[in-house]
Amino acid sequence: MKKIQLNKTILLSIICLAILSCTSDDRDDPVQEVPITGDYTQGLFVLNEGGYGSSNASVSFLDNEGQLYQSIFAGVNDKNLGDTAQSMGFNEDYGYIVVNNSSTVEVVDRNTFTSIATVTSQIVNPRYIAFSDSNGFITNWGDPNDPNDDYVAVLNLETNLVESKIIVSEGPEKMVVHNGKLFVAQKGGYGYGNTITVIDLETQLVVSNIEVSDVPTGMVISDNSLYVLCAGKAPYTGEETQGALYKINANTYTTEASLSFPEGVHPSFLELDNNTLYFTQEGSVYAMTTANFQLPTTPIFEPALDGLEILYGFTVAEGLIYLADAKDYASNGETFIYNLNGALQQQFTVAIIPNSFYFNN
Amino acid sequence: MKLVVCLLFCSMCFSHASFSQSDTINVLGEVMLYNKQLKDSVYTTNVLVLKDSVLRLSQPSLTNLLNFNSTVYFKENGLGMVSSPSFRGTTASQTAVLWNGININSQTTGQTDFNTINTRGFNTIEVTPGGGSVATGSGAIGGSINLVNTLKYDTGFANQLFVNYGAFNTYGIDNQTQYATEKASFSLGLSRNESENDYPYPNTDRKNENGQYNNTNVSLASGFKLNKTNTINVFANIYKGRRNFSLPTPNALKTKYTDFNTRSLISWKSTFSKVVSNLKMAVTTEEYQYFANIDSDYFTFGNVQNFIAHYNLDYSVSSKVLLTAGAQYTHNDGRGSDISSATRNLGAATLSMKHKVSSTFLYEIGLRQETNEAFGNPLLYSAGLRYTFSPFYQFKLNTSKNFRIPTYNDLYWTGLGNPNLKPETSYQGEMSHVFSYKKATLLVTGYYNKVSDLLRYVPGTDGIFRPENTNNVVIYGLESVFGYEKKIANHTVTVNATYAYTVSENTEIKKQLIYVPYHKFTMALGYRFKNINAYYQYINNGEVFTTSDNSTQDILDSYMVANLGAEYNFGKANTYKIGAQILNLWNEDYESVLNRPLPGRNLNVYLNITI
Repeated sequence: MKKIQLNKTILLSIICLAILSCTSDDRDDPVQEVPITGDYTQGLFVLNEGGYGSSNASVSFLDNEGQLYQSIFAGVNDKNLGDTAQSMGFNEDYGYIVVNNSSTVEVVDRNTFTSIATVTSQIVNPRYIAFSDSNGFITNWGDPNDPNDDYVAVLNLETNLVESKIIVSEGPEKMVVHNGKLFVAQKGGYGYGNTITVIDLETQLVVSNIEVSDVPTGMVISDNSLYVLCAGKAPYTGEETQGALYKINANTYTTEASLSFPEGVHPSFLELDNNTLYFTQEGSVYAMTTANFQLPTTPIFEPALDGLEILYGFTVAEGLIYLADAKDYASNGETFIYNLNGALQQQFTVAIIPNSFYFNN
Repeated sequence: MKLVVCLLFCSMCFSHASFSQSDTINVLGEVMLYNKQLKDSVYTTNVLVLKDSVLRLSQPSLTNLLNFNSTVYFKENGLGMVSSPSFRGTTASQTAVLWNGININSQTTGQTDFNTINTRGFNTIEVTPGGGSVATGSGAIGGSINLVNTLKYDTGFANQLFVNYGAFNTYGIDNQTQYATEKASFSLGLSRNESENDYPYPNTDRKNENGQYNNTNVSLASGFKLNKTNTINVFANIYKGRRNFSLPTPNALKTKYTDFNTRSLISWKSTFSKVVSNLKMAVTTEEYQYFANIDSDYFTFGNVQNFIAHYNLDYSVSSKVLLTAGAQYTHNDGRGSDISSATRNLGAATLSMKHKVSSTFLYEIGLRQETNEAFGNPLLYSAGLRYTFSPFYQFKLNTSKNFRIPTYNDLYWTGLGNPNLKPETSYQGEMSHVFSYKKATLLVTGYYNKVSDLLRYVPGTDGIFRPENTNNVVIYGLESVFGYEKKIANHTVTVNATYAYTVSENTEIKKQLIYVPYHKFTMALGYRFKNINAYYQYINNGEVFTTSDNSTQDILDSYMVANLGAEYNFGKANTYKIGAQILNLWNEDYESVLNRPLPGRNLNVYLNITI
């Protein structure tokens, strides 16, 4: 008798178990105090590229009162930003988020972050965006294995449609606009580039290719000089080359000076603030004035001492140095803000793989 | 909630004292001690055996079969896409996949993509949790999966045709032909699966784009009893698959991937009164091509050829003591677009002893001396004991040292490979309790596993990922497997269930590894009445972390998925079965990898004709 009851209990338990939908929903919403209207008029955007293939790119925002908001694009627009956000650009009232592995450019209102449009046509592996009066210019790697299909897409800023393509050599990356010309650094996609392409904005024709060292990774313009930082090929390529810093006349395209980094040193980034050039080298931050064109030998500071693991993003603006720490690329990264003397001012957690900083003001 | 379910489940099983083995899933408890000679198999760990009848009811991918019927956890990049296991909380390459006893993990990636194994080519699949390096060499740290072609003799001619068609234009055809006399056995299997795989993503306006796949598998198994002492077996398997990889986001560049794998094996077994000699020689090849742009002819590839020889000599000192000595040799020859051509040779010698001290007590010890050019000469071991307290309760204890050597990619990837890598090493111990009563069995195993020198790709200061021996991982947990069958008149009810609790912690940061759930529960309920067979399969996968800092906003939620199926047999002498399955019965909206949705409720029908 007792056994029969037990059997029934068991049977009942089994049936309950099999039908129970006892799944959890423990995923916390991101720290989400997004005002309903979204107000991003004054503050710092941090772009988090997210894991490659994970479609979890996001934008964090630190307002001028020090309030931090995570994942503002998804919060405002109820959709994901996409897969591997590479960079952002701002023009007039709009922000443009270049989403590399999604092959899209998301256009948002720069103050509310409401989605305006998604540029998809003729965008393949996009990297960066720059602007002239009426057009946006988007560097694209195209098919990463094809070195001959790389281009700059010309975006009509009224229609948000790509109107034409300017074919360039492999791996176009960062751009600067100066005096009616677009300078495109050919860093190399899956290969390695060593040129700066100059495009006339009016005719949209390539007018010059300036040869530099391998892997031009940073580029800024000051007065009429174009400064280009080349990382050189890394040892793993099997044909390591030296890093270099170039000073190029932005009107004649001739190299006025160049400095070589010691062998085995591969610098990255190049930022300009108040006539001073900033770059990073083996995780440390270096500075030099444009007036005294000499490579510095000692860093202004070593962020590793403050716990920064992987220096993945670097911006200098208005007396502050912004560093992004990608950590192990599989956890939430951090932002470190320093003053120009290398004193840590602020440190806060953002999202997966932060890679760049932008300002709204 | 999960814990409550578990406790309920366990207590329920313990409180009931009446079960045994169902006919579909066997827990190899080896409950009874046979008066036969000891066999060359392991007695102090556990094996879950999935037989043909279970394989038929599952979808043809190994992912689907094991997901619903074992404690192995899977992450799948969308249905049919790349799928990798986590067995007992380990990484994807720490599960050894064997084909008739030969390791077939990819030499380039170290792992097996479980969606490139078509289960229709095999009639038994054995799932062995825990370390198995002494028996199978590199890789068996979390556990091993053996794909087996069993041979039957004296059965005459038989042919089985299985055809299925389902949602998203998915179809499968599988034909198995067998012919066996007293002295020879021959079977040939041909299987083809194809799907448009364009399922809608539940609760969105998107669908699975560029997810088409097809694969063809040919399997051959034959055996020849030359005389009373000598048997020759020949096995072969060819797999060719093509998949487009489904788009993570709608405008992404479309890609495709092809696999071509061949395996062939010849074994010669001689059985004398006290000695069994077994020689196996196998050649396996693996080749992939990856097209980063589906519209371009350019692709990257990897190609490895392997030659494997095993020799085992069993010597029965008495009916109570078995000594086994063995030697293994593996030669790999690989090349690829990113790996320079490289060969390597691995050798190993094994020695083991099993001793049945009494009818209730048995112990076994195994040693394996590895020798190779690159990784030193580790000595691996395993030792275990088994004590049968009563027909109702048996106790097992096992400990082992296991390892996994770095892969071709880890070592030889141009510019990024690290030739100075050490093998991963695992020390583990487990304790099993097997309860049996009539037609019910319950197995409860607790284990502890310490993996050191874990191989991971770690970014350097230049942001480039390179393989390194990094941290240690400590894994412990509990596994439970339950089987029950009850017959009342013409009604048969079967219940099979598994539950795993897994803690897998990086000892440096004290966080759970990503994509390792704390809880996984599976259950299969079967009901047979005359010509009708109905079944319900259910899994409940606990939430997983997707970031190494275990941040809560990046948790992938737990999910439960259930399938309901029924079939009817029209046949008298032969069987003509017609069946239908509702997959994802409750229309669960779920992902096993972040932002890679899996299908909602869908229908599949099949016909199975056996002559």
